[in-house]
Amino acid sequence: MSDKKYWQSFGERSNSEAFKQSSENEFNSELSLDGLDGKGLLDAKTPRRDFLKYLGFSTAAATLAASCEMPVKKVIPYVNKPEEITPGVANYYATTYVSGGDVVSVVAKVRDGRPIKIEGNELSSITKGGTSARVQASVLDLYDTARLRYPVQMVGGKPKEVSTFDAFDKMVGDDLAGLGGSPIVLLTGTITSPSSKEIIAAFLAKYPGSKHVQYDADSYSGILLANEAAYGKRAIPSYQFDQAKVIVSLDADFLGTWLSPIEFARQYAKGRKVNEKNPEVSKHYQFESLLSVTGGNSDYRFVHLPTETGVVALALLAELNGSVSAPSLDEKLKAGIKKAAQDLLANKGNALVVSGSNNVNVQLLVNAINEAIGANGTTINWSAPIQFRQGIDSDFASLVSDMDGGKVGALFVYNANPAYDYFDADKFKAALKKVKTSVSFNDRLDETSELCKYVIPAPHYLESWGDAEPKTGYYSLLQPTIMPLFKTRPFEESLLKWSGNTTTHEDYVRQYWIKKTGSLEGYEKALQDGVVEPATASASSSAFSSAKIADAVAAINAQKKGDKYELVLYKKVSLGVGSQANNPWLLEMPDPITRADWDNYAIVSPQYAKEVLGVDVSNRRQADKYEVHPDKTVLSIKVNGKNITLPALIIPGTHANVIGVAVGFGRQSADAGNTAEFIGRAVVGAGKNAFPLAMFNGQTIEGYAPSVTVEKTNEVYKVAQTQTHNSYEGRTEVVKEMTLADFKKSPDSILEERDEELKPFGGIKNFEEQGTLYAVYDKPGIKWGMSIDMNSCVACGACVIACHAENNVPVVGKSEVLRFHDMHWMRIDRYFSGDLNDANSVQTVFQPMLCQHCDNAPCENVCPVSATNHSSEGLNQMIYNRCIGTRYCANNCPYKVRRFNWADYTGADSFPDNQRGILDDSVMMMNDDLSRMVLNPDVTVRSRGVMEKCSFCVQRLQEGKLKAKMENRTLKDMVDVRTACQQACPTEAIVFGDARDKDSMIAKTRAENEQRVFYALEELHVLPNVNYLAKIRNTDVIEGVAAEKHV
Amino acid sequence: MALLKYESQVRPPLVNGDKDYHQVTEDIVRPIESNPSKMWWAGFLIAVGLLCFGIYSVYRDVDYGIGQWNLNKTVGWGWDITNFVWWVGIGHAGTLISAILLLFRQGWRTGVNRAAEAMTIFAVMCAGQFPIWHMGRVWMAFFVMPYPNTRGPLWPNFNSPLLWDVFAISTYFTVSLLFWYAGLLPDLATVRDRAKLKWRKLFYGITSFGWTGSTKHWQRHEALSLVLAGLATPLVLSVHTIVSFDFATSVIPGWHTTIFPPYFVAGAIFSGFAMVQSLLIISRKVLKLEDYITMEHIEVMNKVIVLTGSIVGVAYLTELFIAWYGQNKFENWAFMQNRVNLFSPLGWSYYIMMGCNVLSPQIFWFKKMRRNLTVTFFMSVIVNIGMWFERFVIIVTSIYRDYLPSSWSTYYTPTIWEIGFYLGTFGLFFTCYFLFSKFFPVIAIAEIKHILKRSGENYKEKMGDAEKEPLEVFAHEMAH
Repeated sequence: MSDKKYWQSFGERSNSEAFKQSSENEFNSELSLDGLDGKGLLDAKTPRRDFLKYLGFSTAAATLAASCEMPVKKVIPYVNKPEEITPGVANYYATTYVSGGDVVSVVAKVRDGRPIKIEGNELSSITKGGTSARVQASVLDLYDTARLRYPVQMVGGKPKEVSTFDAFDKMVGDDLAGLGGSPIVLLTGTITSPSSKEIIAAFLAKYPGSKHVQYDADSYSGILLANEAAYGKRAIPSYQFDQAKVIVSLDADFLGTWLSPIEFARQYAKGRKVNEKNPEVSKHYQFESLLSVTGGNSDYRFVHLPTETGVVALALLAELNGSVSAPSLDEKLKAGIKKAAQDLLANKGNALVVSGSNNVNVQLLVNAINEAIGANGTTINWSAPIQFRQGIDSDFASLVSDMDGGKVGALFVYNANPAYDYFDADKFKAALKKVKTSVSFNDRLDETSELCKYVIPAPHYLESWGDAEPKTGYYSLLQPTIMPLFKTRPFEESLLKWSGNTTTHEDYVRQYWIKKTGSLEGYEKALQDGVVEPATASASSSAFSSAKIADAVAAINAQKKGDKYELVLYKKVSLGVGSQANNPWLLEMPDPITRADWDNYAIVSPQYAKEVLGVDVSNRRQADKYEVHPDKTVLSIKVNGKNITLPALIIPGTHANVIGVAVGFGRQSADAGNTAEFIGRAVVGAGKNAFPLAMFNGQTIEGYAPSVTVEKTNEVYKVAQTQTHNSYEGRTEVVKEMTLADFKKSPDSILEERDEELKPFGGIKNFEEQGTLYAVYDKPGIKWGMSIDMNSCVACGACVIACHAENNVPVVGKSEVLRFHDMHWMRIDRYFSGDLNDANSVQTVFQPMLCQHCDNAPCENVCPVSATNHSSEGLNQMIYNRCIGTRYCANNCPYKVRRFNWADYTGADSFPDNQRGILDDSVMMMNDDLSRMVLNPDVTVRSRGVMEKCSFCVQRLQEGKLKAKMENRTLKDMVDVRTACQQACPTEAIVFGDARDKDSMIAKTRAENEQRVFYALEELHVLPNVNYLAKIRNTDVIEGVAAEKHV
Repeated sequence: MALLKYESQVRPPLVNGDKDYHQVTEDIVRPIESNPSKMWWAGFLIAVGLLCFGIYSVYRDVDYGIGQWNLNKTVGWGWDITNFVWWVGIGHAGTLISAILLLFRQGWRTGVNRAAEAMTIFAVMCAGQFPIWHMGRVWMAFFVMPYPNTRGPLWPNFNSPLLWDVFAISTYFTVSLLFWYAGLLPDLATVRDRAKLKWRKLFYGITSFGWTGSTKHWQRHEALSLVLAGLATPLVLSVHTIVSFDFATSVIPGWHTTIFPPYFVAGAIFSGFAMVQSLLIISRKVLKLEDYITMEHIEVMNKVIVLTGSIVGVAYLTELFIAWYGQNKFENWAFMQNRVNLFSPLGWSYYIMMGCNVLSPQIFWFKKMRRNLTVTFFMSVIVNIGMWFERFVIIVTSIYRDYLPSSWSTYYTPTIWEIGFYLGTFGLFFTCYFLFSKFFPVIAIAEIKHILKRSGENYKEKMGDAEKEPLEVFAHEMAH
C-alpha cells in the first residue's frame, strides 16, 4: 500500500489549526456559545438574561431621554364651594338674546362659570325653544378677542384708555355741560326693553330738547308706515303661518332673515308636516328675484325684477278683487299670480300674503291683499304686534341732516353702526364730525364708534341684566351668566348716571320688575322662567282703511323700469346685517343656497353666465370646469357712481337680469390696518360692503338698485364653497321627493320602490339578514336613531352652528375651506333641479347630512387600529387617541361625513404654535385663550392628524343615561337625551331617541311615517341609523325625478 | 458538411463575448474596485439632492400636518397612495425574476436577477414610506403592530386591509431582502478575497459572513435559495393582491371590484419589468455589461411587457363592460363619467392610462421593436407613467365623485410637498441603487458562471476547425 497522501486543498495539506477548526465546524449544527463548557445556557458568557437586561435598560433610557417635559398647569379648587356650582355639572340660566332689535328667549348652559352653549327657551310661546344660527353663535361673541376692554377716548383715531368710569363720567359730563343748549340725540337700534325705554325717557326729560332716534340697518319702515296708513298703528302685527293653508310671499325671506324667522319657521313647518293618514300640506308661492331659503322651500316659485315688486303685488290685488286694474307683466309671471290668486281666494281666512319690500306703497297693497283674502284677524294677529323693528328711515335721514347742519350737540350711539350700514355712510361720517361731542356704547370699536369721541364698552347680553319685549305684552328677561369679562358698563347705567340717578342698572331692572310682577318672588320666578307672557288670546283684527291704496297704486304704476340689470341686496342667514360679523362660526357657516362662506359675492343667473361670463352651466363640460375651480370671474358693479368688485357665483333660480349681493360683509375700520384690532381678526378680507348700493326713495331705504352697470373684469377671486355640484343627478337613492298629488294617489310608492330595490335580498323586511353573508346578531338594549323630516327642514342652519358649539368643531378659515378642508359634522346639502335656464322651474331640496351611524359601517372595518367602532347602542364611535390618521375610513364613507384634522386647527397638537402663517388669522383667533373659553369641556378637542365626525352628541347621551340611572328610572324620551342639532332646530325636523323603545318619539315617527321613511343609499347594506322622511311638494312636478329620466 | 448539426440554434447564448470564469469576475467586480466615474458622482449627487428634498417635504407634513398636501374631505388619498401602489408594483418584477424564474429554471434570469432584486428591495423601501408618512399621526404608527401591550391589550383591527398591507409589505420586504442577500454572499466573498485595501477587506469580510465556499456552504446556500424562492413565489401574487384589497373590499364605486387582484398583479409585473428595463439599459451601458445583459434579456422582458400589458388592457375593458352590464348606477357613473368622459375634470388621466398601458406596448409584437434599445427605454418610461396613472385613476377618479353629489370635490392637484415626497422616494431609490452599483456586484457572479458555456464553446471552436477538414479526417476526429 502506497503511503501517498492525497489532499484536496492547501489547507488540508498543511493541516493548519485554522483549517482543523473550520473542518470541525463545517458540519457542526450545535448552537455555539462561548464558554459553554457543558454547563447550562445561562452560564454562558453572553447569557440570555444579560442580553435582556441590556435591552431593557437601553430601551428605558432611550424612552426617558426622548420624552419631553410637559408644561405644568395648575387647577385650583374652590376654598369654599358655592352651593350652586358643582365642578363638571352644568347650570342653565334663562336669559335673552338681544341683537339689533331681534329678541330670542334662550337658556344659557354654564359650565364652571363659563357660558358655553345657547339653547332656546321652551317656555317662550314665540320660539318654543327654537333658535337660529346667529343665536347659537352668539355665545362666541362673548369671548370675542376684539371686544373693547376698558372705556376709551378716541384721540387721533387711536383709543386712549380712560382709567376709571368716574373719570369717564367727568369727561362726558364736562362736554355735556358745555353744549350750550344744543340737543343730545340718542341714536340706537330698535330697543324693545320696557325698562330701558323708561330710563331713556327719564334721560330725555333731564335734557330738554334731546331726542331718541331708532335706526335699523335692516329696516322695516315700509311696513310700519304702511300699517300706520292702513290700520292707524305704526306697528308690525304677528303673522300666523301655521294657520295659513296658502302662503304667498312677495320677496319675504320669512324662513331665513325676514322679521322673526325662528317663529315663522316653526309655524310654517307645522303646516308642512305630513300626516300620512290625511296628507295635507300648505301651499307656498314665492315671488322673488333671487333664490332665498324661503324660495328654496316653496312649492311654486316665480321670479321677477326688483322694480316689479310693486307691480306683482298690484297684479295680485287685481286678480283678487278687481278693484284695481292689472298691469302688464311677463306671461309666466302673470300665470303664476293668477294661480296664486285662485288658491288664495279658495282659502279665504286661511291664507296669508307677506312682502319683504321696504316700500310703503308695496306694503299698502299687501295690506289690501290681506284684507281681500280675509287674513286680517286670522293669519294676521293684531293683538300682539312684533316689536323687533321700530326705526323709521326718514327719521334717521333727518337726523343726519340735523347733524350736518350743526343742530346736534351730542350724539350717543348705542346698538347702531350707520358708519358701516347706512346707504350714505359718508354723509353720516361727515355729519358726525360736526357734532360737538359723541359717545358710543359698544362692545368694540366699530366703524361708528371709532369716529366717536368717547367709547364705553357695552357688556354682552350674557353679562347683562335687562328685559325685552319681543311682542307687545310678551316679555323676556336677561340675567348675567358670567361676571363681566372686561371693564364694561351697560348703556342704561350710563344714562342713569348722567341723568343723576345713582341706581345701578341691575337694581333698576329689579325694581322695575318687582313693581311689574308685584313681588320679589314674582320677579325671581320671571327670571327663572326667562319669560313673562299673557294668556294666549285668539287672533284679533284691526280696522282697515283703504284711503291710501289709490295713491299707492298710482305710485306703483308710475314706478320706472330699471336698466338691463338690476341689483338686489339681500341678507344672509348667517350674518344678517353684519353686527355679528367677527364670528368665525357664522363666517364659516355655508350659505344654505350658495354653500359658500367667508365672503359675499355677486349672484348671477345661468343666463347671465352664458351671455357675459361665457360659462354655460347646462353644458356638463363647462359646468364641471366651472365647479371644480374656485377661481370665479370678478365683476365690477357700479351703482350711482359707487363701485364694488365681487366674484360672480352662478346660482340657478336667479332672475336673468338680476345681480344679487349680500350685505353684512366688508367690515372695515377707517384705517383698514386697524380692522383686525378694532372690529376683529376674522372679518379682515371677508367680502365687500354692499350697503352703499342701497337706494333711498325719499321715504324708506330699499334693498335694490334699479340700474346697475355690471362689467366683467379680467380678474378672478377664489370663492370658498363647501359644495360645488348642484344636481343630485337623479339619484333617488339619496334624495326622495314626490308631489302631494302623487303621494295621495299612491302613498305606498316609496315603500314599493324601496322594496323593489331590495328584492334580491328579500325586500325591506329581510334585507338586514339576507343582504349579508354574515350572521346577524341580536342587539339588545338601547339603539339610538334619528329621523330627519325633509318636509320640515327649512335649511336655516341653526343645527350647523349648534353642532359647532356643542362639539368644539374647529374653524378652519377661508384658505382651508377653499381646499375642501371644512370640518362641519353637520351639513345641509342643497340640490337644484329643473331647467337651469328657466328660473321659475328651479326646485331646491335640502338634505341635512351627518354621520349615519351605520350598523354595518364601512368605515369601521377598514380602520387598521380599530379607532372607529360600534357601540352596543348603535353608535359609530370615534376614538381620537387611537386614531393614527390613515383617512381610509373617510374614503370608505359613502356619505363623506368624516372630517380629518389636516392641520392644527385647535392648538391642541403636540407640535404647538406652528401654524401661524399657514392657517388664517381667524383660526389663530379661535385658539386665543379667550376664545377657547367657549369650548365644551365634555368634548375632546381633537388634535392634528385625527379623524372626527358626528358622535350623536355622545356626551349628552351619557349624561342623560347617568341622570336616569341615578334617579333609578328609564330614560325619558325627548327629555333626557337630545342632540344639539335636534334641540336647536326651530321646526322640529330632527327626532332622536331610542328606536327600540316602542313608545319613543323616534319609533313612533318611523312607524307613523312608514310611507315616507327612507334611508340614504339603503341598498349598500350599511344599515344607517339615520332615516329621512321623503319630501312631499305641493306642486305639479318633481324636477329632480324628471331629470333622472334623461341622465 | 451541413448535415452535421451539433448545436441547436434556437436559443442564442446567454452570455456573449466568449468569457471565461476569470473574465466574468473581472468584468463584474471592476466597478467595485475602481473609482466611480464622473457620471456616477453626478447621478449620485442628484439622487441625494432629491432625497434631501423629499426628507424636507416629509418633515413639513409631519410638523404642520397632512394639510401640507392638497387632499381633502372627499379625496382622502391622492398622490400618497398612488405612489405607494406604484412603487410596490415596481418591486414585483424583481421577485418574479428571482423566485419564479428560478423555480422554472430559466437560465437567462441570472444576468438580471441581482439588479432586479435590488430594485425590488429599494422599491419596497420607497413604497413603505407612503403608508407611513401619510398617517396623520405618524408617531403613533406603531399602533398597527400586533404586540402585547399595556393598552388593554388593544389589538389592531385584523379586518382592515390596511393591516393586511402591513403584514404583506413587511413580509415581502423581509423575504426579498433575505433572498437578495443570500444570493450576494458568495459574490461578496469573491470581492473580499480579491480585496487589497484594508477597509475593503474589512467591509466585505463582515458582509460576506465568513463565506468560504465550502461544500456545506454551497449546499446550504442552494437550499436556502430554494426555500426563499418557494416563499417568495406566493408573495409575487399575494402582495399586490392584498394591496388591491385596499380598494376591492371598500364600498366605493370604482374601487369595489372583484377583478382587482389578478389585474393588480399583472399590472405590477408589467410596471416592474418596465422599471427593470429602464435600469438595466442604463446600467449595462454605464457599467459596460453588455455581454451579460444582452439583447436577449431585453427582448424576453419586452415579451413579458406586451403580455402583461395586454392582460391589463383586458382587465380595463372587463371593468368597463361590467360597469355597464352590472347596472349599478354609481359604478356606471364612476366609469362612464369620471373616467371615460374625457371632458370630465379628471377624464384626461384615464386616457393617459389607456394610451400608455394598453396601446403603446402593442408595438412589442414586432421583433424589431423588441430589440431596439431606444424604443425599449422610451417604452419602459411610458409604461411606468401609464401605470402611475392607472393607480391615480383608480384612487382619485373613484372617490372624487362618488355617491353623494354634494361632496363632489374640487380639482385635486398636488402641492409641491406632495410632489416633493414622490421625488424624494426617487432620490431614495436612486441613492440606494447608485450605492448598490458601486459596492455590490450588479450581476450574480456565481450564478452567471453556472450558465457560462465556456467548455462547450471551446469544443465548438475546435469542432469548427474540424469541420473544415475532409470528411475522413472529421470522422477520425469524432471517433477519438
